[in-house]
Order: sequence, then structure tokens, then C-alpha cells
Amino acid sequence: MALTAIDIYKLLPKTNCRECGQATCLAFAMQVAAGKASIDLCPPASEEAREKLSAAAAPPLPKVTIGTGEREVVLGDETVLFRHEKTFYHPTAIAISIRDDASGEEFASRLAAIRRLSFERVGQRISVDLVALRCVSGDPGRYARAAAAALDATGLPLVLLAPAGPLAAAVEAVAPSRPLLAPPPEDLVPAAKLAAERQLPLRVRARGIDGLSVALADARAAGAVALVADPSPETPRDAVTLATSLRRLAILGRVRDLAYPSAFDLGGGFPDPFLAAVLLVAKYGSLLVLDSSDPADLLPLLTLRQNLFTDPQRPIQVEPGVYPIGAPSESSPVIITTNFSLTYFTVRGDAEAAKVPAHLLIADVDGMSVLTAWAAGKFTGESISKMLAGCGIGEKVTHRTLILPGMVARLSGKIEELSGWRVLVGPQESSALPSYLRRLPPAAFLPVHG
Amino acid sequence: MSVALPIPGFPGRILAVTLPAGPGGTPVTVGGQNALPLLPEGEHPNAPAVGMEVPTGPLELPPALAEAIGPFAGDPVAMARKCAGDWGARFLFLSLSGCHPDAGGQSVSFGAAVVREVLSATPAPVIVGGCGDEEVDARLFPAVAEAAGRPVFLSYAEEKNHRLVAGAALAYGHGVVSWSPIDINMAKQMNLLLADLGFPPDRVLIDPLTGGLGYGMEYTFSIVERIRLAGLSGDAALARPVLCHLGDAWKAREATDPSEGTWGDVGARGPRWEETTGLACLAAGADLVVCRHPSSVARLSGAAWR
Amino acid sequence: MAKCSIRFLPDGVIVPAVPGESLLSHAVRAGVPLLSPCGGESRCGKCRVLVTGETRGGEDPGALSRGEIAAGIRLACRCFPTEGDVSVTILPGSRPARLAAYLDGKDLAGDEPFLPLSRTASGGTSLGVALDLGTSTLAGTLVDLSDGTVLSRATADNPQMACGEDLISRVVFAEEMTGGFELLRGRLLSGVDGLVSRLLEASPAPGEVTDVVAAGNTVLSHFLYGISPSPIRRPPYHPVRKEYPVVPGETLGTGPSTARAMWRIFPSLGGFVGGDVVSGILASGMHRQEEVCLLFDVGTNGEVALGNREWRITCSSSAGPAFEGGEVDCGMRAYPGAIESVRIEPETAAAEWTVIGRGRPAGLCGSGILDLCAELFRAGIVDRAGRFTSRGGGRRISTERGEAYVVVPGEKSATGRDVLFCESDLKSVVRTKAALCAAAEALLAAVGLPREAVARVYVAGGFGNFLDLRSALAIGLFPPIPLARFVPLGNASLAGALGALRNRRRWKEALSLASGTLYHDLSSDPGFMELYQRGLFLPHTDEERYRSVLAAEMTR
Repeated sequence: MALTAIDIYKLLPKTNCRECGQATCLAFAMQVAAGKASIDLCPPASEEAREKLSAAAAPPLPKVTIGTGEREVVLGDETVLFRHEKTFYHPTAIAISIRDDASGEEFASRLAAIRRLSFERVGQRISVDLVALRCVSGDPGRYARAAAAALDATGLPLVLLAPAGPLAAAVEAVAPSRPLLAPPPEDLVPAAKLAAERQLPLRVRARGIDGLSVALADARAAGAVALVADPSPETPRDAVTLATSLRRLAILGRVRDLAYPSAFDLGGGFPDPFLAAVLLVAKYGSLLVLDSSDPADLLPLLTLRQNLFTDPQRPIQVEPGVYPIGAPSESSPVIITTNFSLTYFTVRGDAEAAKVPAHLLIADVDGMSVLTAWAAGKFTGESISKMLAGCGIGEKVTHRTLILPGMVARLSGKIEELSGWRVLVGPQESSALPSYLRRLPPAAFLPVHG
Repeated sequence: MSVALPIPGFPGRILAVTLPAGPGGTPVTVGGQNALPLLPEGEHPNAPAVGMEVPTGPLELPPALAEAIGPFAGDPVAMARKCAGDWGARFLFLSLSGCHPDAGGQSVSFGAAVVREVLSATPAPVIVGGCGDEEVDARLFPAVAEAAGRPVFLSYAEEKNHRLVAGAALAYGHGVVSWSPIDINMAKQMNLLLADLGFPPDRVLIDPLTGGLGYGMEYTFSIVERIRLAGLSGDAALARPVLCHLGDAWKAREATDPSEGTWGDVGARGPRWEETTGLACLAAGADLVVCRHPSSVARLSGAAWR
Repeated sequence: MAKCSIRFLPDGVIVPAVPGESLLSHAVRAGVPLLSPCGGESRCGKCRVLVTGETRGGEDPGALSRGEIAAGIRLACRCFPTEGDVSVTILPGSRPARLAAYLDGKDLAGDEPFLPLSRTASGGTSLGVALDLGTSTLAGTLVDLSDGTVLSRATADNPQMACGEDLISRVVFAEEMTGGFELLRGRLLSGVDGLVSRLLEASPAPGEVTDVVAAGNTVLSHFLYGISPSPIRRPPYHPVRKEYPVVPGETLGTGPSTARAMWRIFPSLGGFVGGDVVSGILASGMHRQEEVCLLFDVGTNGEVALGNREWRITCSSSAGPAFEGGEVDCGMRAYPGAIESVRIEPETAAAEWTVIGRGRPAGLCGSGILDLCAELFRAGIVDRAGRFTSRGGGRRISTERGEAYVVVPGEKSATGRDVLFCESDLKSVVRTKAALCAAAEALLAAVGLPREAVARVYVAGGFGNFLDLRSALAIGLFPPIPLARFVPLGNASLAGALGALRNRRRWKEALSLASGTLYHDLSSDPGFMELYQRGLFLPHTDEERYRSVLAAEMTR
């Protein structure tokens, strides 16, 4: 179980010597408890403290990497069962499959389709992470060439779904790209030896937790270290159950021999792969192989992953800018608020409820709420005036009237003076926006002349 | 040799709540479980229930919905029959959105009459949703509570109006949906307020406010997980079934915009967006989901295993 | 406009009229005391004056009734002189008053030998001054340094109040007004000088002040030392200095009464936890205890400290001034005319009260507000969410400010107006108590201790002397900890300063306890908002904990 700051403090020298860079031993203990500092930073710590703390600090689920460089995919390394307990660190990796027996043209167009599975959402790029190459031909030469071609065309790390022979051929061709070796169960031992020899990650596939328990031991015996566990479920329900069991074994049970990231091959006739994929993104899947390359499937799946793998303790900032509420016109009201995402969602929701089209200005205040941003000097007469001048709202409306959150009414004078806009003080609470907006006389938004 | 699995046991149990049906209909009972969703552990006497929204008033439907429900959406009675019949919804969420001054402005008595007609046209369990305008809803809920010929649930009671909504529901034997804006503490506070009014706990559903996929869905996901864990851990005020209304999924541009070619066919993408939102809610612990697309009813019902 | 003047009554001060400047600004310039908790933002409606002469503005219908406007009553912050001489009478409710209620404090660790900082004056008796520099109130004690006798005690309003009630408003004032920083600093220095002069006047023994020990929050300490407090309001919210050199008063620019005295100010712990908390911890003796203790300093700002002999952690709760008379319409400080305790008769829903001093009530001070909220909740007149229910009978009325409870009907009040408590006032109190309770819970969470681990709870601050702990727990001002563990301290910062003045070892003790006390920034604590949200309920969202821990003790 995780140690609390006080538990850790009791193990420290309690001298407030500041050698660790923290103001007090308690401050250091809090950093260690939060996983932000290691006991190594405390030179006077006792041997006993070191031992206890490093045991507690080891991640319950080891980290496995596939690929290299910018496209490196990290699996595992999670510490909690529920994202609200801390956060999930490493998003479920999505691999899209391709067959090595496809014709040249088919092969190329499938790779192109995989490359297109990359979307821009709220300022982030969300994309599929890997290409899973299925060996259907059985021909080592063909498989190795396909692996090289897939790597070359997409730059994405590879999952090599192949029997031992073709697998070895492909490893010769693409080993430096650090592919994941994914042999069928019967070829586990030769593949594990190959993985050990080339220091590559290996997917171990066996039926259920009991099967995995044996297969993982075999893989370790053959020298493979970086392992990913596939319990080969038969249904989506089975998949959720097995993924949950694996994660609980690692985090609740601290069962080292079964503590590995999970992988699921949802292609090749798996029933309802989309359902399984969604549930496994929500519940403990580390790597999923999908046959579908339809963006209508992948966009929602990647969006869900983006949602669930954000840090719940770090509120997401909304991209600053001008947002339309309904279909606003040049005489629609202009409302301003800050880019703290909850503030934005609340104000947007309330403004929509008013059913009055409007322009919503989202100011860049590093994701603070209105009052916090004001107190911190980020939501000021100057910054708002600058935004009014620079964000393009002047071209979108013919009037020059701004609705300011009631909490910062005191900024009105400064804004009017600096920007030339007239300020209407809006309600203190966003929930009063609907009635406020509906009662505004249209005359408030007449064009300015001259 | 088989591996011993660590399975957390919980001291609490989610209260079972029944949405009553009319004569000849099948009531919906949810809750009653003492374990987390989707897993073969503990007891799950009731599977989650998938319902459909029956809209009123003028509508602007996104392409995927226009195609699927367009022909019925203007007629609540026909829509209700279709939802509870061919489309397989286990309950209906009758939204009196048409009574909103800016969305049709139907009168309160008209709204109450629609409720009466829908209730006599189908025996399916019904949740009646207000129009969202505070002043109109203050008149609408008492009128609906009186007009409904059989017990329904009123959606929703929030901190501001809970006396009025719960009062109307109590007087005529209805249930309420207890709403709070994505906040576990406010969800608990609402249920304590309802308890203070003497409202029977087995006639309360929690609506934690469901953000659409890509637009705050993760907040809902975590709040539903937390509500469920708190309820199972023994916090009685949170040991209630959770209802997720997936309507916000259809506010996402990704669900409705036909112009983005690289996003795939909007006819497939829209339902996928709603389905994904709903599946995430079920995975988090939702006991009831309300959808708008018939295909979502089928898809989510398939996933709503005990 | 010809040369015209403005005459302030009852002070009788006359200043030349400056066109375009509000009556409040004139009053600030003239040094006339006038309540303006919002700092002239036209939000609080408390700067009420009676005007004779030509003016414009200040007729805010939200704050003033039609009758009052017709009678010539205006809000000084929005009223401007136009022509001719103007006479301005500060109305009684708008005059800050003074009272010794903020002076009493306990020094639980203070039974030490007398060992003063210095003993010699150039001539006559050597005197020492202990000071508590509060956001709203300045308090001081004059001591004979030859034997430690207390010679006199006094309090004064912090004259900076007219430039903003809360510290952030003052920092903004200092930044945005030309000469604002100097003005605020000058007001603090003159306030301190006035206070010390009064201490000397009241002293039976003449002498010379040779030592001053002062405890103040970080912002005031910065003003005193002529350091800009601006960085404190911006991330990462660090003060410019935490430790302040020991210097003679003339270096600081203090008035003649302390110019030759050596000034010692308790070190600050962080931007919003200052030397007043260090001094409070010193007085509580928390830093000498084996067991874990909690300390609440409830004042204009609320601070919380947790810890024991080995470790301590503190934070500022960002609680509002609801218990210092701010943010609550009928709120006032603890001076004569303030209701200090309330009981509501369940049958009639009528309030019974006791008033500080003699006479009719004009408003409620912190302890009265706390009692009132607890009683309204107990009587079922407000629900757990802080909204009025249908109960309350004739005591419940609708006003322009929303639903309200009549605490004192107009015919029994000092002002002739009803003393009203509105839903919005209750919300302010609930926000303040939620912030205070959540701050304590956040500290416990930060170190990973359960609240059962807390062996003692010290309650410091002027209001700590008077509050009814049952009421405090009935509305969840503090975490659910058995009543027997609570220890009221009163003005612990003044008591701590006095202790250090009388014993130089205790001054050293303060410096060392400060360096071993960690400042916890709640604005970057991801769990705080959630704890705060849980507190926005009566008594608390975890009401079952309050019930189980306190049920036996809460029955009266």
C-alpha cells in the first residue's frame, strides 16, 4: 500500500537540513509520497528508510516500450485502478492490422488509410499508434519485405503477428525499430528466445489468467524480459473481465509474475470488436489490435482515449479564441470568460440554454477560473483589451459592447478606457446568464458609427 | 494450479429502483447490485436498462438522426410506440422541450396533455423531462404530476427547484431524477435534501449530467465511477442507480458535421459517437442510459450485461 | 468650479473639493474614517453619508431606499461634488468604531521567566510595545520592560480599510493607483503611530519605547518594510521576503513614538500566511507538543496550521471576512451595538439576542452571525443547502435583496431599519465556513493523517474568544472533532508578540518554529476545491460524521 507523507516523514532524519532542496523534512516527505522525489535525494536517510521507501516506490505494473524515438509507444507503468485516484499515464495503444498477403496496390492503399487515422482535436493530435502486420502468406521473405514496407510507409512501430519463421525474418529487417513480437502460442519459446537475444518486447498469448501464468513463466525462462500479456478472450465481456483481473493482480495483488501490460487482438473475426475496443480503452487494455480502419470507428475511439487519459487533477485548458454559441450574427452579444475548462463548459452550457446566439470570447489565463485569474493578474483590463483588439471579434460584430463576468465588474472602467468597447456587467454567476441574455435590449448591440 | 484473483468485496449495495409500467407493460428495475459493472463477481440482479428519448416541439435533427427517427420525431405518440416497440427501448424519456419559450413555446396544459396521450399509447415506463426553463418548469412539473395517469419519474430535481419537483412527485406517487452538475458531492447533497423532505429513497435516480464524448465525457465517467464506489462502500445517499442521458453526444461537431471527409460517413459516425458515450457510461457504472438513435438502443442493450 | 470645500462631520475636517473625485476619495485624503469594505467598488453599499449641498450620483437604488435618497443619503464612493461647499455627515453605521474586544489573547506556553529584549532607555523607563497588525484591526499592548507589567492596551481600525477590505484589493490598489503603494504604507504607519500614541497617553508610567515586537500578515509586513507585495498575488504566490531585519523605527519611517525603538517583526511563512500565524503558534504552544494539534485563526482572512513538536504545515483558507462583518449586509465588527449571540425560539421563529454594550442592536458581529446561522438551521428555517424553507412565519419576508429573515424588527433596532439576514448573506457565511473547514481537511490530507489524529484544536482570532463552539460545529465551521478538544485562544498573535517581548528566548523560539513550518499553497492543491464543495452544505456533505462524532454533545 502507498505510504502517506507522515509515514515517510517518520522514516526521515527530521533535521530540516534542506540538503534535498525542500524547506522541511515534511515537505520532502510530501514530495516522496506524491512520487515527485526519491529517497536518494536525502543523503542522511538511514538504510532502513531507503529500503522501505524504494520498495514502496517501485511501480506495480512495469513499463514496456515498443518502437523508438518520437513514435515510441509506452505500455503499462500504471499505479491506480481508477483515474480519479491519481491519473492513468499511458493511453491504450491502438494498432491497425494489415495482411502481408495483400497485393502491392492494396497494401499501399491500406497503409495510406492507416496514415490518415490522425485527427486534430482541441489543440492535440490524436492518432493510431502502431501497424500490426498479420502473417497470412507464411512466407518469411514476403513477410520481412512487408514489415520493411509498412515501417517505411508509416513510420509507426510494428506489431509482428507471425509464426517463428517469418518473425525471425522480419526481425532481421526491422529490429532497430523495436517491434513487438507477437507469435502464436505454439511458437512462444523460439520467439521468446529471439526477443531475449534481440532485446525486443514480446507479446505472450495464452488462454486465460491460468494459461498466462504458465506461458509468462516460459517466456521468462527463455530470457525474454519486456512482456505484454494477451489472455485471448472470446467475447467482449470476457475481454473486460480478463483485463480487469490482470490489472488487479498487478495493483491490488502485487503479483509480480502476472504484472504485465495487457494486449488484445480484436481482429480476425473477434465478435463485436468496436464494443470490445471501447470497453478496453475504459477498462485496462494496454494495446489493442483492430482490423477496422474506418475513421467513423477510430475518431470516437481515439477521442474517448483522449478524454479518459487526461490527468483528472490537471484541468484541461480550452483553446483561447472566439467560440460561436448557436449561429451568431454581427449584432449578437459578445461574452467573455476564461479558459479554465469547467468555466468554459459551464458558461457555454448556460449561454446555450439562453437560446440567444452569441460570441463567446475565451481568454488565455493559463486555465484559471475568473476570480483566480483576476487575483493572479491574468484577467485584467489590459489583457482583455488586448484580446478584443487581437482576436478578430471586431470583424465579426458591428457593435462594440462586451458582457463582462459580474465577479470582475471592477475591470469595466479600465476596459472601456483602453479598448473603446462599452462594458455591460453580466451576472455574478453563470447560471443567471440565460435570464440576463434574454432581457438584454437589442439596442445594446447596435452598430457603432464612425 | 489456478491463480487466486484479488476481487474487492464491498459492504454496500445499490438500492433497487423500479420504473413502473402501465397495464400490460414491463416495469424496469435497476440497481440491487453489490459489485462493479460488467464483471462476473458479486450479485447483479438487474441489468442496466436502455431507453430512448421522445422529443416534443420543433426539432433540428442532425443527419444521422433525421434519417433514423425523422418520420416519427414530430409525433410524440407515434415516436413513443416506435421506441418501445420496434426499436426495443425498455423505457421512454419524454422530453417536454417543446414547452420552452424558445423551442416551440407549447403551453403547460399542452405539455401535460402530451404526457397523458403518450402514457395511454404505450405501457412502457416513462421519465418525463422538463423544458429547461426555470419559470415554465415550475408550472409544468405540478401539471404533469397531476395529469399523469400512472406513476412516472420527473426529471429533474436540482438544488434550486427540488422542493417544487419533489413536492409534486410526492403528491401523486411519482419518482424523481436527482440532478447535479458533474459533482459527486452535489449529487450526495441533492439526495440528502430529498431525504429531508421525506422523499422515498427507492424512487430516486441520480443524473450526474452526462458530457458528450470529447466534450467533458471524462468528468462524467469519473463522477459515475466515484458515485458507484462510494455507494458500494456504504455511503447510503449515493447507493442509488445512475441515469446517463446521452443527448450531449449529439452536440458534438464530430457527430453531426457531414463536411469533414476524413472523419468518415456522418451517418455511421453520429451513432458511433452516441454509442461510445453510452458504453463509457455503462463501463463507469450507469444503470440507465437514454439515447436518441435506434441503433444505439440495440448496441447498448447488447453491452448492458448483468 | 470656483474654490469650494468639503466639510466632513462629525469630525469637522475640511478639505478642498477636487472635481471628478468621489466623496469617498476626499474622505480617504482627509483621513476621515469611513467604512468602505469593497474599496470604493460600489459593491458593499456601506459608505453611507448624509449630504447637504450640490452633488451628483451615489443614489444607488439597490443600496438605498427611496426615502433615504430623498433625505439626502448617498453612497460616498459614487457621489461627486458639483458646485459650492458640501457638507458630508458620516452616518453612525458607516463609522468604524473601536473596541478592546480584539485584545484578549491567551499565551498557553507563556509561563517563562521574565527576560526582556533590552532593559535600558536613554532616560526614564524602558517600554516595549507588542503589536498585532491585522487586516481590519490594529491591536497593541504597552509593557514596562523593567518588570513586564502591562501598562496599557488599545485597538484601532486599520486605516487601510478604506482602500479595500481584503488584502488582494489592497495589493491591486497599490499597483493601479498612482501613489497607491505610498498611500497604503503611509496609512499603515500613521495607524500604528496613532495606536502607540494612545498606548502612551493611557499609560500610568512615562517612558521611552525601546522595543517593538509586531505580528502581521505577509502583505502588511511588506507594506511596513516598504516592499512591494505585488508578487504575492501572482503565481507562484511567493513573498519578496519572509524574514525581516531588526531595525530602528526611523529606518521604517515610523512616527516619533517608536522611531528610536528596535522593531522586530515575526517572519512570514508564505504569501498568505504571515508572522501573525507564527506568533499564534508560539502562543498556542503547538510547537512544543507531542500530539498533533490544529490551529484556526479566524479573522478577516482565515489561516490554519497543523502539526506538533516535530513538524508543522500551514495554509491560508481564502475564507472571506463573513465573521468580521464583511460580505454580510447586517454584519459589523464586535463593537457596541453588535449582536453577539442569538437564539431562535422554535415556536414563534423569533430571535432573542444579546448585544455588546448597552442599547439597541445595529447589526451582528461574527459570533452573532454564527449563532444565527446555526439557529436558523436548527429551527428548520433554512435547509441544508442554505435556502429558506417555508418555515419562519412572520419573521420571513421578501425584500429587494431576496428572501430574508428579520433578526431585529425596525422598531427595536438602533437604526430604525429592520436588521435583515438574507439568503445571500447566508451563502457568504457558508462559503467562508466551507473554505475554513476545507483548509483544515486539506492539510490533514496533504500529510495523510485522519482527523481522529488531532488531539487539540486551538481557535485564535478576536472572534475565537466569543464563538459558541456548538454553533460552530452545527454549521460545520470546523471538522467534526469532539468539543472537548477545542481550546479558544482569542488574539493569539498579540499574545505571542507579548510573550516574545517579555522573553527574548521566545523570540528565538519563534524564529526557529517558523523555519520548521511548511507553507502549503491551497491554490495548487488539486484536492482543495472538492473539499470546499463538500463544505458548501449544512453542516457538511459528510453529515453522518458530524452526527456520529457530535450527536451527544450537540444536544443542548
